[in-house]
Amino acid sequence: MLDPDISTADALRLLTIPVVDRSDDPLGMDRRRFLQMMGWGVGAGALMGGLGETLAADLLPGRLREAFATTPVGPNEGILVLLGQFGGSDGLNIVVPYANGLYYQQHGDISVPANQALHLNSQVGLHPNLPYLKSLYDAGQVAVMQGVGYPDPDLSHFTSMALWMYGRAGNGIPNSGWVGRWLDGLNGDDPFRAATVGQGLPLHLVGVNKRGIAIPQWGVGFGGDPDDYEHRQQQWMYTGMRNFASASAGRGKWHDSIASAMKGVIDVGQQVAPVFAAELPDNDLAKKMTVAARLINADLGMRVIDTGQDGYDNHSSEPQELGQLLTDFDNALQLFFATLRPEFRSRVTIMTYSEFGRTSWSNDSSGTDHGTANNQFIIGPSVRGGLYGAQPSLVGLDQWDRMPFNVDFRSLYATVLDRWLGGGASTVLGADYEQFDVFRSLPGVVPGVVTFPPPGGSAGFVPLSPVRILDTRGPLGGHDRPFATGEAWSLPVRGLNGVPADAVAVVVNLTGAGATADTFLTAWRSGEGMPDTSNVNVAANGAVPNLAVIGIGADGAISVFNSAGASHVLADLIGYFREGTADTTALTSLMPSRLLDTRDGTGGRNEVFGAANEFDLQVTGRGGVPEGCAAAVLNVTIAGATGDTYLTVWPSGEGQPTTSSLNAGPGQTCANLVISKLGADGKVRIRNERGTAHVLVDVAGYFVVGTAGRYIPVAPRRIIDTRSGIGVAKARIGSDPLSVLIAGANGLPSSGIAAVQVNLTAVSPSQDTFLTVFPSGNAVPNASNLNLKAGGVRANSVIARLGADGRIMVVCGQGNTDVLVDVVGYFTV
Amino acid sequence: MDSVQLAHLLRRTEYVARTNRMTELAAVTRSEAVDNILNATTPVAIPAYIDHDIDGEGYDQWVFSVQWWIDRMVDSPRPMQERMAFFWHGHFCSGWDKVNSARAMMEQNALFRDSAFGNFRTMTHTMSVQTAMLIYLDNLDNVKTSPNQNFARELMELFTIGVVDQNGQPTYTENDVSAAAAAWTGHGIDWNTDLYKFWSGDHDNTLKSFMGVVPLRNWNGPDIINYLLQENLAKKMVACKFLSKKLWEHFAYEGPSNTIINSLAQVLYDNDFSIKPWVKAMLMRDEFYGAAATQGLVRSPLEFIVNLMYFTGYRGAQLNPQWYVEGMGQVPFNPPNVAGWKTNSYWVNTSVFGSRAEFARNATWRLRQNDANQVGLGRTPAQAVDFVAAMLGLTTNGLSLSTVTRNAMVNFVTASRTQESAGSWWENTNLLTMMMLTPEFHVA
Repeated sequence: MLDPDISTADALRLLTIPVVDRSDDPLGMDRRRFLQMMGWGVGAGALMGGLGETLAADLLPGRLREAFATTPVGPNEGILVLLGQFGGSDGLNIVVPYANGLYYQQHGDISVPANQALHLNSQVGLHPNLPYLKSLYDAGQVAVMQGVGYPDPDLSHFTSMALWMYGRAGNGIPNSGWVGRWLDGLNGDDPFRAATVGQGLPLHLVGVNKRGIAIPQWGVGFGGDPDDYEHRQQQWMYTGMRNFASASAGRGKWHDSIASAMKGVIDVGQQVAPVFAAELPDNDLAKKMTVAARLINADLGMRVIDTGQDGYDNHSSEPQELGQLLTDFDNALQLFFATLRPEFRSRVTIMTYSEFGRTSWSNDSSGTDHGTANNQFIIGPSVRGGLYGAQPSLVGLDQWDRMPFNVDFRSLYATVLDRWLGGGASTVLGADYEQFDVFRSLPGVVPGVVTFPPPGGSAGFVPLSPVRILDTRGPLGGHDRPFATGEAWSLPVRGLNGVPADAVAVVVNLTGAGATADTFLTAWRSGEGMPDTSNVNVAANGAVPNLAVIGIGADGAISVFNSAGASHVLADLIGYFREGTADTTALTSLMPSRLLDTRDGTGGRNEVFGAANEFDLQVTGRGGVPEGCAAAVLNVTIAGATGDTYLTVWPSGEGQPTTSSLNAGPGQTCANLVISKLGADGKVRIRNERGTAHVLVDVAGYFVVGTAGRYIPVAPRRIIDTRSGIGVAKARIGSDPLSVLIAGANGLPSSGIAAVQVNLTAVSPSQDTFLTVFPSGNAVPNASNLNLKAGGVRANSVIARLGADGRIMVVCGQGNTDVLVDVVGYFTV
Repeated sequence: MDSVQLAHLLRRTEYVARTNRMTELAAVTRSEAVDNILNATTPVAIPAYIDHDIDGEGYDQWVFSVQWWIDRMVDSPRPMQERMAFFWHGHFCSGWDKVNSARAMMEQNALFRDSAFGNFRTMTHTMSVQTAMLIYLDNLDNVKTSPNQNFARELMELFTIGVVDQNGQPTYTENDVSAAAAAWTGHGIDWNTDLYKFWSGDHDNTLKSFMGVVPLRNWNGPDIINYLLQENLAKKMVACKFLSKKLWEHFAYEGPSNTIINSLAQVLYDNDFSIKPWVKAMLMRDEFYGAAATQGLVRSPLEFIVNLMYFTGYRGAQLNPQWYVEGMGQVPFNPPNVAGWKTNSYWVNTSVFGSRAEFARNATWRLRQNDANQVGLGRTPAQAVDFVAAMLGLTTNGLSLSTVTRNAMVNFVTASRTQESAGSWWENTNLLTMMMLTPEFHVA
């Protein structure tokens, strides 16, 4: 009936201990090989990073048989991940009431010391093993639901879990679950709408007429063979076995149920197998949450994914046991968000559950016994972070020292059903429960998409001589170690190098370097939810820069996130935007034109840059750039570098700064947007550091003192994703330009936009290629914005003038590619 | 006894209707057949190997124990003894991983086997103070200054009287759990011997209020068992009904009528918890042989494994069931939780059935290496399908492939032969695998 699935972690441990050789195994397999085949990932030492783009390639439309076609999750449909903490978690040691003396009196030697708790406010703090959860809380993405329970609590694991999974009032043994009844209310019968990652289907995923599916965390074997010629015999067998379920056999319902389950094995195998292609982490919960994220990335149409962690029944040795569980929990959470593709971030919310809390008085075995009220978390970028409900009181305990509850758990269900899953709470739950305002935005809507600063405020640009403000390879900037997987960190910028108190955004050249895995960086305004966009894509061991305009948070900082592996991050401050008008400049955008090409002599130089070679490029008076302007918007490309090198661009006549503008490896062609202040002579100086390389420079605009052409930053938002069909049909672009509506779409004004700043990412081009962005209504100019190799991923910031119809065009120079467009801000007319 | 009914009886009690057993019991009455099935030898010695700790982690002993037990299910002269032992294992759960002692787990296993047809109350007493249970449900930590309720609660909720009775009325209160926990204080382990010891200094000798009994008594742990299963006749009957429903659902079908439950409960009650007459009463009932029963149970993973082993001739050392049991959802010696395994819908979902398929393929990989298993060679598609069905015992004693299944398989062979030669290596392999995964092979 219900399956808390408690032995999974234990058996996993048992099964991964090396044993004697078994050379007589089937196919002569040894145990190690066997476990690898089964997907247990023996020897997977390092945690796996994001699956990245390979999965998308594996799941390209057209490769799947129509028979198993799924309905992808809509761009505005919410996805809920349920994360069970089985055994009854000790909420008092997870959300610690560190200022309450009664807690220390009652929890005694198993309590969390006040100075170790990660303080959320002056009253409560998180267990010290939850640093990542704390960072999400600080980013405003965690709702702490306090004092959750229900009337007349039952202290049996099974009865209480059954009630939680049932989700309706009343006693007796339930036969349906709340998610299952929600499935009942949906149209159609898509088997992929709800899944549990683990063994056995828990009651809450079983409805009256429909039910979810179960996907083991170690992968699918049988049923997962590819549908190709080499595996045709298996496919014939699968077809035959599917036909076991082609009609009722007249042998009773269990016979037919088994036939359906067998068909399900094959259908799910065909669809889900690619999710397990890349290695998985060893830890059980990390494995499950990684699979959950990949299932979402695969866009199979899953709306609810359930999984869980066993072992919270800490009757003894709680400090050690709970400490380890929470470490695993925190790591798994981090890995989940690191694995999740950015475009799904604003569509995913995680909610924890546990069958009950524990006693406020500890027992003498350094543990706690079955209790009542507990804390749960609702986590995600769309969540309005904070404390909800009330911490359970430690005075006036009920019978047997149990804490009275403040929030009915069905209120949590009502909240996510109506506000995240599209409605139906009162039907599903059989009653109306209080709901909480825990979502600050609807699914798929990036939080805070309204422009900031507040409407009406526009900002002018103040260019600076470039200066490095963060280098994680040393102490500069205050983060003297690489960013870890999933790490988000705030970099103070206000006051740095003269950035004034009223500055609203900084222009930063952000570089990811020496990453241990393919990763991406995201930068955004500190204090806001992390957007589902990315700024820089870095392949393992590479060094890639990108120019970013980033809003400054109330705390004077910007936030930076690294998705996978360990990566160094460098930030060079280029300038800032402020609301004052006295000394600010405004942008005039241009049709892009080429100022320098050392391959053909354009710009006065027809030879490669050698090592430590410098060249002064005349910018003013060319390509529509007037004399006397303060700064220029350039796209700089390095072509055919002979070794690892970087270019630095700075105002001529000034000393060389300790910054870099773009990086390239041997044989690479790379571009980066560069905004540079100009020297008194209207020139910029360009220096190549090592080896030899050709350099190309295109100009896209300039800044002069004035009030038109002011910048309005918006919360970053992805408006085009050709992989998942955001903003456009699911189709790669080629030589036929993609037209992207900017004005009047995605919360941007319908008039008054001169140029838009977007972050342009190309994914898996069919051959080495480049992308060009230009105003609609024009021919493709002799310019480029982004260069990359076949199969690669690269991003570059683009400031693009709009055509008369409010559109920009994106074209792929060679072959075809997937394209992502993230809007970052715009300049007024 | 009618051969169709006898075959059903043997499948439900001995996993398989073995040819020799069918012959042996062909001419006897139902009652005589049941007596024969329940006539097991005790005691069975604990294999010495389990004390031979190779890697210090107990994994090797666990593997050995799994294979040893499953092989016994296939080969022992009275497999019903193993089947009942497994029933008690799922009832009085303990988990290898928490107990962390091969010896303690196998001593408990021996109790389940040797008491399979013994007395339930006696077994409950013994089980309560064996090392495995003292560790698994934390009673070793249950001392008067700090009671731990884990065992005391489950003793009532899961082991004897259940949460509610037949009429949905609660059978105990939180206060009773508290009193029972106090009664069990001091019943722990002597770590010098790893065996049970009553630590009188840790025992709560105060008068306790249990089940409203007045005057109050100084209850001790075993008194709780005796009260529930002997002294309080109403509770005794509640326990008999609770156990009878569980027995019927394990062996016959889910949701038996109160008539069936009450009649079995009365037998258990009248025989003061003697197990053999109670099980016999179940096997004698006509309902046990009706369509509700024959179509009413999905084979558990172990029942599937045992059948596959019997019909292929392979044993644990060849097929390594220990690698598949977790995926199928039934790990011997490591039940999912203290409530043990459920039935039917618990086994039927895409997740666990994938592992059954893997196990079938594992057996097929061995079978196909033997030329004798070129099952498609020289046979028409229909003949080939029927031949493989017979290999797995699906065509005799009242069994047959359904039309839907048979057509699907015949069509598979026909399609295969449009591109491959008849009896090709792949055809043989897939035919064997498919037959092991027909619904017919999983409901019996």
